[in-house]
Amino acid sequence: MSSQTRVELRKDLFADERDDNLNEIGRPTARQDILGHVTGRSPFFDDHQFDGLLHMRCVRSPHHHARIRRIDIAAAERMPGVRRIILGRDVPHNLNTLLSLIDFGRDDEPLLATGKVSYVGEAVAAVIAETERQARDAVAAVRVDWEVLPHVLDPEEALAPGAPIVNETWPRNVFEYHDKYTHQKLRFGDVERAFARPDVEIVEGRYQMSPIEQAPTETCGAIAAPETNGRYVCHTSTQALFFSLGTTAKLLDMPSSRLHFIGGTVGGGFGGKVDSLHEPLAVLGAILTGAPVKYIWDRAEEMQVGAPRGAERWYLKDAVTRDGRIVARRFRGYFDCGAYTRLSSYAVQKATGHLPGPYTIENVSSDVYCVFTNRTPATAMRGFGITGVDFAIECHMDKVAERVGLDPIELRILNAYRDGDMKAHRRLAKNTALIECCQVAAEKAGWPIRPEFAAMSSLTGGGGDRAAIPETVTDEEGRVDGTPAARPAPRPAAPAPAPAPATASTSARPAAPATRPAAPPATPPAAPPVAPPVSAPAPAAAPAERPQERPAQKPYQPQEPFTRGVKKPGAHRFSSLSGTRRR
Amino acid sequence: MGLTVETYASAAEAARALAAAQDARYLGGGTLVMRAVNYGDQSFRRILRATDPALGRIAAQGGRISVGAGVTMAEITESRELGFLAPAARAVGGPAIRSMATVGGNLFAAHPYGDLAAALLALDGRAVLADGREQALDELFAARGRGQQPLVTAVTIARPERGAFRFRKVSRVKPKGVSVMSIAAWLPRSGGRIAGARVAYGAMGPTPRRVPRVEQALEGRTLDAAGVQAAVAAAAEGLDPPEDAIASAWYRRAVAPVHLRRLLLEEDG
Repeated sequence: MSSQTRVELRKDLFADERDDNLNEIGRPTARQDILGHVTGRSPFFDDHQFDGLLHMRCVRSPHHHARIRRIDIAAAERMPGVRRIILGRDVPHNLNTLLSLIDFGRDDEPLLATGKVSYVGEAVAAVIAETERQARDAVAAVRVDWEVLPHVLDPEEALAPGAPIVNETWPRNVFEYHDKYTHQKLRFGDVERAFARPDVEIVEGRYQMSPIEQAPTETCGAIAAPETNGRYVCHTSTQALFFSLGTTAKLLDMPSSRLHFIGGTVGGGFGGKVDSLHEPLAVLGAILTGAPVKYIWDRAEEMQVGAPRGAERWYLKDAVTRDGRIVARRFRGYFDCGAYTRLSSYAVQKATGHLPGPYTIENVSSDVYCVFTNRTPATAMRGFGITGVDFAIECHMDKVAERVGLDPIELRILNAYRDGDMKAHRRLAKNTALIECCQVAAEKAGWPIRPEFAAMSSLTGGGGDRAAIPETVTDEEGRVDGTPAARPAPRPAAPAPAPAPATASTSARPAAPATRPAAPPATPPAAPPVAPPVSAPAPAAAPAERPQERPAQKPYQPQEPFTRGVKKPGAHRFSSLSGTRRR
Repeated sequence: MGLTVETYASAAEAARALAAAQDARYLGGGTLVMRAVNYGDQSFRRILRATDPALGRIAAQGGRISVGAGVTMAEITESRELGFLAPAARAVGGPAIRSMATVGGNLFAAHPYGDLAAALLALDGRAVLADGREQALDELFAARGRGQQPLVTAVTIARPERGAFRFRKVSRVKPKGVSVMSIAAWLPRSGGRIAGARVAYGAMGPTPRRVPRVEQALEGRTLDAAGVQAAVAAAAEGLDPPEDAIASAWYRRAVAPVHLRRLLLEEDG
């Protein structure tokens, strides 16, 4: 290996496909924002100075799951410097889901919890005071009467019968896809038939990934202040300015024309600054106090409350011929989205679109669940939806190589997709490069591969039979049909053992049925409806007992609820992104 | 109520105010107190500080040296008088921290901090309190464990013979990592044999501590592989090191002999 750190470009590999003139790699190039950073002039949201700036801090749940019996703010309200304490009832439209802006999913998350809390750190009140310290002291003086509820922290346990319902909007503890299924399905060919072939080995594996915190240097925050003519300015650390603006307009039930959002330098985002929790509260604070209000997380909040990349668990099952061709791959995935959807529903779809990884496999089946648990909600982070399953896939490739006695790089080259191959999501592969990547990696690492593998190419050998969409077996596993029925079976019932693919599985999971009734009725027959109707997302689970604070402050309501105008904020109806419309 | 800052002209006045207060913290360089403020520590409402010039003084006193409690790590590294202590001062934080962090603050820095304090302990450090009393650092640390935090105005330490003081900080990240452990050893020699060794550990207990069994095992020995064998064997004896994000107690016990051995066998400086 060379000790030089020179980057080598292999443009020759795709010379006829790409006409790029990239000339940045391998050369020193100044980041576009570096001058501002090194001279201390990059404007961050917190650099904006306001006279009489007020500070907001939240009262947070110490419990994973608890009913809020009562919130007593009487003592806190009287503390020095306290200007206002905001409760859920002050939020005009206190239920939202981020992707409602593109009409995907159901509103399932309050800005400030009212009926119950569903994760440690969930906010139930926001104190606005003249100094941060006063706000902290008042937060400590707010008394919340909690009724602790049973909680669930593991996605598979959340799917088990009798698990606590994390989020009443989703009584099955799963995000329902296309209003039809308890999970996102992918069917391509017939994996069960392949698993039953006598000439294959079955290789199974279980893989999981913990949540990962984005850990920005600048914690998330926003400053909002009244402008003239009933407008409010908001300086924010958001990564998604118009997303935050639309979310604020919806939660506060006000036209976006009254909101003047100003972004700036994001002090580290990595996906963790799209959730738009700060802007609505800061603007509401400015509305209620008539003064500029800052709401910023401290480091502990950033770590505990800030949404991470979510945890994932994957089960993979491959059928592999003795010469190393993977002829079937089945996935079962569980995304732990925490207590609220945020962006996890989308992560599941990204993951599904990625399967079965950069390999051409003629039979692929996948069931991926977006599961609610009493953990911190998960959100975006670089490549979210892909990272976890790629980890699983590549670990599994090594396991397969070991099992069939093939070199792991050769196994990858053998199964790699090539230009013209049909992918499981029914698009032809193009610009594929896995084979070349493997070859170059092996060469650089001094890892010997046999000449026939060194000679293979992504450009040839693809297409033809490999471009065909196989006859595909579909099934109704996990069908919802709007009935608030039983929870999904976390795994399909395994009625009969496979007729002995001549191998033993090392996995703890039993081999799944290889018998082939086209669609085994894996879903248990609809049990009597036990959960509340799906279509009634009663705002934050309508608390049985309303919190009984003394009405020192009347709940905030907009003077003119936003009903005029062309469109209500948050009601755009894109249909192209998810391919579905709410029906 | 917000936070108030009270500035006193003399350390004695500040000490009296501190002794009378339940809700005050004394600010030396601020690297601990201001961090607590920034992280919303609600255990205090008043910050006391003193502008007493005596706090910043480094002065020879017979065979010993007096180091003011307000002397910063950076000032130690720049002091000709305290050259032997520079490696320990340099082990604390990065340049920004060293330009603010003080000797007095290090005496009261909670685990895993207090690397310099371990060095001062090995050098027979004695704290000079604001009321003029002196207290051996062993006692000061024991009292600290009981929650007592008197205002220290200076620490006097022995001036070690050339090459007789050794310091080693073990951390996973270099530079600026916090301690897995630190080891300070004052190893006076008489005729090539150690006489009156003082060895102290940082990060191996709630406060810096001496390791008497190691000291005894070194007595009369030479600094070679055979000579240090007994001391190395006793390196972790009787210790109950803390568990934290940096290392488990088991790990700290397991590596203590390795690092002690390296320290003892390193070439004379």
